[in-house]
Amino acid sequence: MNSKLKKYYPLLPVCVAYLILFLVGRNVTGIWQLVSTLLFYCALGQAFNIFLGMTGYVDFGYVAFLGVGTYGMATAVTGLAGYEGLGVGVIVIGFALAVIMATLLSMAVGAVALRLRGAYFAIATIGVNEGFRYLIEGANLWNGSSGMIFTAELNQILGRDLAGRVMTFWADILVLIIGVAAAVVTLLYMNSKIGYALTALREDEDAAKVMGIHVTKFKIIAFITSASFAGMVGAASWALKTPYVFPPEVFEIHYTIEAIIIVMLGGAGTLMGPLVGALIYGVSKYYLSIFLPGFQLFIFALVIIVIIVLFPEGVVGVLKGKTRNNRLKQLIL
Amino acid sequence: MLKIEKLESGYGAMQVLWQPSLEVSRGSITALLGPNGAGKSTLLSTVLNSVKPWGGKVYYKGEDVTYTPSHKKVHKGMALVPEGKHLFPNMTVYENLAMGAYLDKALAHKSESLDLVYTLFPRLKERHSQMAGLLSGGEQQMVTISRSLMTKPELIMLDEPSQGLAPKLVSEVFETIRKMKYDIGLTILLVEQNVDASLDSADYVYIMHEGSIKAEGVTEKIKESKDITSTYLGV
Repeated sequence: MNSKLKKYYPLLPVCVAYLILFLVGRNVTGIWQLVSTLLFYCALGQAFNIFLGMTGYVDFGYVAFLGVGTYGMATAVTGLAGYEGLGVGVIVIGFALAVIMATLLSMAVGAVALRLRGAYFAIATIGVNEGFRYLIEGANLWNGSSGMIFTAELNQILGRDLAGRVMTFWADILVLIIGVAAAVVTLLYMNSKIGYALTALREDEDAAKVMGIHVTKFKIIAFITSASFAGMVGAASWALKTPYVFPPEVFEIHYTIEAIIIVMLGGAGTLMGPLVGALIYGVSKYYLSIFLPGFQLFIFALVIIVIIVLFPEGVVGVLKGKTRNNRLKQLIL
Repeated sequence: MLKIEKLESGYGAMQVLWQPSLEVSRGSITALLGPNGAGKSTLLSTVLNSVKPWGGKVYYKGEDVTYTPSHKKVHKGMALVPEGKHLFPNMTVYENLAMGAYLDKALAHKSESLDLVYTLFPRLKERHSQMAGLLSGGEQQMVTISRSLMTKPELIMLDEPSQGLAPKLVSEVFETIRKMKYDIGLTILLVEQNVDASLDSADYVYIMHEGSIKAEGVTEKIKESKDITSTYLGV
């Protein structure tokens, strides 16, 4: 029993970090906006890590899953606006729809792109978000380029007070919960045979194959899991927080790049990494935009080069190496 | 044990295998020899279906497995030791071996297989907690072979196991291959460019050139036939 429980110790620092983040946000005036951004980055990184970190494949079209998640929530809220009795149930349905749509998209993308390896996979995915954006605009899906604005519907379903609280507070809490859930799933995977299979294929796909591992299956599992969390992040952080959606905003490759920076900075394939990366990235981006406006991207470009050259395993990767021989090691994964 | 009939495959538009047929009988060491680019590695990859067959048949224990996915073939007891050192450099020797016992069937016999591997390669036991990437070339090759033994195979296909090794280690590798046959009772399909050493160990020999089998026979016959050895093997 004890050793079974020990496997879950690494969740402790994760939960503590989220708790501190929450308490700081609630008790320091004027900081909730920053905390909300940080929570978004944490959840984004944690979700992306399940794919990028565990398989070593870089998906440049990742933001598309957040985008379709946002559309999933938007569709649920606008479509069910007449059923006021459903109340909060609409949000639950919205999340379900977001997950389903992100899963379907990831299966479609994965079926084609996951047959490719390494750099070829990355190249194949670059166009996914752009392609999807132009599909929505060109085929006039979901109102095409004029987007969807559903503040009124949200007010109608939840009532003006609750809708306001959802936009300013509960959406962020949902993002927090999604981030924690993604971390829990990451750890569950790490502790199971899925984790072993993913580690093997990340290190050497040919070797994994001759060990009898069905590599495609496990890549798809990681891809779908990661995508469905992304869908939920989009639904909570973009659709509920700001109840409108425009294709150019939700299919912006910029967010994918941020997710890659966060995961690499913190440590790809580690449990804590995305969280650490998100906090470092989010806080420094916030202060850089105040003190050196316009230079953030330039500075992050340099930072990412330095990281890849000096410590490719990221902050948590380095920490893991340093704590290998002491008592802290069971907390850091 | 393994029977290949007129196998065809290639990459893109380029055909590499031009209908080679061969047979590996149970408990034997069968060597597949030939120069660079003859298609030997492609043949092994196609047998395992990690390169898709274009035509022909592969039978394993009498069963048609031509289009069976690779991971299922491993489950059935076929193992491939790929060319070059495909091991996990950032894991310890033990972790590498444990990874080999990934399948349920292999996991059930993990400690037994581990004992076997450690008797076969006592050096790996000494080094079990070292990072695999820090081992010498010969030791790394031992880890790769051992990891495939951990999958509990009945047929093991080795792709140039002596490649890039010092002469002394080459003879060690071939000694191990003989042990795998005599002590463990494995069936072995050996792909090699090291003609002399292979001819010393093999029971039956196939000679491959430009994607098809040009000659075959029991080892003694091949050795005697100056025509064959000088034309295809440069001996």
